[in-house]
Amino acid sequence: MRLIVREDPSTVGDYIANYICRRINDFEPTAEKPFVLGLPTGSSPIPTYKALIKLVKDGKLTLKHVVTFNMDEYVGLPQDHSESYHTFMFREFFSHVDIPPSQVNILNGNAKDLIGECNAYEEKIKSYGGIELFLGGIGEDGHIAFNEPGSSLASRTRIKTLAYDTILANARFFNNDISAVPRMALTVGVATVLDSREVVVVVTGQRKALALSKAIEEGVNHLWTLSALQLHPWALIVVDEDATAELHVKTVKYFKSIERVQDEVEASQRELKAKGKISESQVGSME
Amino acid sequence: MSSQNGLVCFTNCFLPQEDGTLLEQDLWIDERRGVILNAQKTFFARRERPDKIVDLGGNILSPGLIDIQINGAYGFDFSVFDGNDEAYKSSLQEVAERIVETGVTSFVPTLITQEKSLYPKILRLLRPFSTATSATVLGWHAEGPFIDMAKRGAHAPSFLISAPQGIKSFEDLYGAENLADSEDWLMSGTLGVRIITAAPEVNGVMSAVEELTKRGVVFSIGHSIATSDIATTAVKHGARLITHLFNAMPQLHHRDPSIIGLLGASPHLYSPFSPITTKALYSHSPGVMSPIALTPMRFDSKTAISGLKSPVGSEALDEVETPPQTPVFKARSGKGSTLKKTQSIAGFSLDEPVEFTRPFYEIIVDGIHSHPNSVRLAYSAYPEGCILITDAMKILDPNLRDGVHEWRDGKRFVKEGDKLYLEGTDTLAGSVVTLDKCVRNFTRFTGCSLAESIKCATYSPAKCLGIENRKGTLRAGADADLVVFDAQGIVQSTWVKGKQVWSRA
Repeated sequence: MRLIVREDPSTVGDYIANYICRRINDFEPTAEKPFVLGLPTGSSPIPTYKALIKLVKDGKLTLKHVVTFNMDEYVGLPQDHSESYHTFMFREFFSHVDIPPSQVNILNGNAKDLIGECNAYEEKIKSYGGIELFLGGIGEDGHIAFNEPGSSLASRTRIKTLAYDTILANARFFNNDISAVPRMALTVGVATVLDSREVVVVVTGQRKALALSKAIEEGVNHLWTLSALQLHPWALIVVDEDATAELHVKTVKYFKSIERVQDEVEASQRELKAKGKISESQVGSME
Repeated sequence: MSSQNGLVCFTNCFLPQEDGTLLEQDLWIDERRGVILNAQKTFFARRERPDKIVDLGGNILSPGLIDIQINGAYGFDFSVFDGNDEAYKSSLQEVAERIVETGVTSFVPTLITQEKSLYPKILRLLRPFSTATSATVLGWHAEGPFIDMAKRGAHAPSFLISAPQGIKSFEDLYGAENLADSEDWLMSGTLGVRIITAAPEVNGVMSAVEELTKRGVVFSIGHSIATSDIATTAVKHGARLITHLFNAMPQLHHRDPSIIGLLGASPHLYSPFSPITTKALYSHSPGVMSPIALTPMRFDSKTAISGLKSPVGSEALDEVETPPQTPVFKARSGKGSTLKKTQSIAGFSLDEPVEFTRPFYEIIVDGIHSHPNSVRLAYSAYPEGCILITDAMKILDPNLRDGVHEWRDGKRFVKEGDKLYLEGTDTLAGSVVTLDKCVRNFTRFTGCSLAESIKCATYSPAKCLGIENRKGTLRAGADADLVVFDAQGIVQSTWVKGKQVWSRA
């Protein structure tokens, strides 16, 4: 696992957007071989989306051959409700970039057969050969997607009851009316995320500091589902200074040193590739 | 250059919202169907996104402007009909096609008081209408003849009438088929509006307000000396508009603020005060004109213009002397009260709070027909009700240069900016301001934002007419009639049903 520390949420967003941009461009996606990208909702990824939109508008990136899978969606909330994740994704990202609508996948929380919907989602991901890069965020309790504390680390896409904390936290989006907050969601599982070839997680703000420390400085634990990332061979967490508040100094220093080495190796690999000496461009984690 | 899948995305633009704010957002339209799309639904449900993208360079993308009171333009006077249907229609079409250069994409041709026999003929020609490149003619606005002699302005006095038989009098005059229930009138479910400006104090008019409203006709109070009570009663019966506020109505008197005072009415409680005037202005007895209306009028040079066969001049500004109208208070008491029935209806008491919806009001923002301070005063009192109109005469034409121009009957007029004089006089000859200029003026006069000003010429008139699902908004499903303004409020391009019909080259 790598941890990248940046000054604030907007520089975190720039870093991740540039990173994803490079990954997509290096991948050289085509209609036959699209780049499959997993996407989150929430406030943490917004700066990343903004930076990605700018890259597309500046002509440095195109999503013409990108297929996306979103992490989750509420159950029973109309698709055009202002708080639905369909609405979020359209407003914050899809409406501003050149992705063809047919390549966008979001779980349908209004499906008659919710279990069938979840299974079909897993199948669809498989049909594309799995997810190349899953971008995620975390909750204050360390949940990734709607995999609340206590979720199986082997879980797949399924119906999930929201934790009371999450319902409380979301009430502000529903006029502070707890009863209006959806109680259930469809979400990809922890294993679905871990199955992807690469995972990038954005963690910003002091309020996420404890969750970050639990996820990377302690053992793998289903009460902090992000900690399952420790088992992933190619994971990247990008955080701002505030989010490091609960980490040990030596942890931060260690990861900062990794970043330097990684940068050097990646640069030399790119050079080799440019000279045609190697074909594999993806370095993986140097840790 | 059209879009392959027929969808167009306007981007890099600001959209005026119905609450008067500006939102930086894309707008998706279907140029084949000519409607505004729900972008999100199009994306997720139709799985489509626009093939064509129009970058507006940071400009404002507004709903097309709506002018609900305009007497003519480009040389054509909507009130002049020589018996040739085709000639009238083609002139009307020409106006509709040219007026888009002023950002107007819908308008309501307005007829000033006519000889009785002309109404059924002209109104029949004013059914909703549009071509692929023209603004939409929404219907008609009949200003008169049920108006008060005392505030007739330029309307021909000999044509003014009362309505002793209530709604029947209206039907007799305008033609029963023209006042049919809105569905029968349109017969196809298309969009159409009818506005009648009348004075509620004129005999029999009040009794027709409710029925007219029920049939989908917008009743507008104007050319009237209604007291506060009468005006309030008219609104309670369904009147939802005031015709060119400040003009052709009593000036604001603090004891009886009359029609203008409606802007200050509380939406919940009505004052227990019941000011009455020394004269009975409103009578129930049929066949009797109100005493004021029977007052012999003085004719001077200013009013002589009203005697022309087809009246010209700005009826809005052309005031005749208002009868003495110093309001006095009378104590309200049950017994022996001299109050008339209608007045006690209007005079709610504090212990029975009533919901009261203030009417919309039209205002001419050329800086001449209403002083900037008056405009700001009205807007401050009731921003939600404000509707900008031009009330323009047939010489409206933004391309017309200043100077002396031929008018009619050998008369000539002098155009000086937005001012029009009869040659050799200082008599204002009417309004010649364009609606887009009114929008700009309005921001200067009131200090409101451009988006708030745009709202007064788009959403508010549409709401008043009950057509806000189709016109005057950017709602999904509404007609893609659009205007692009730069940050100064100058029209850059106009779009009708999804197609650009005019642009500042």
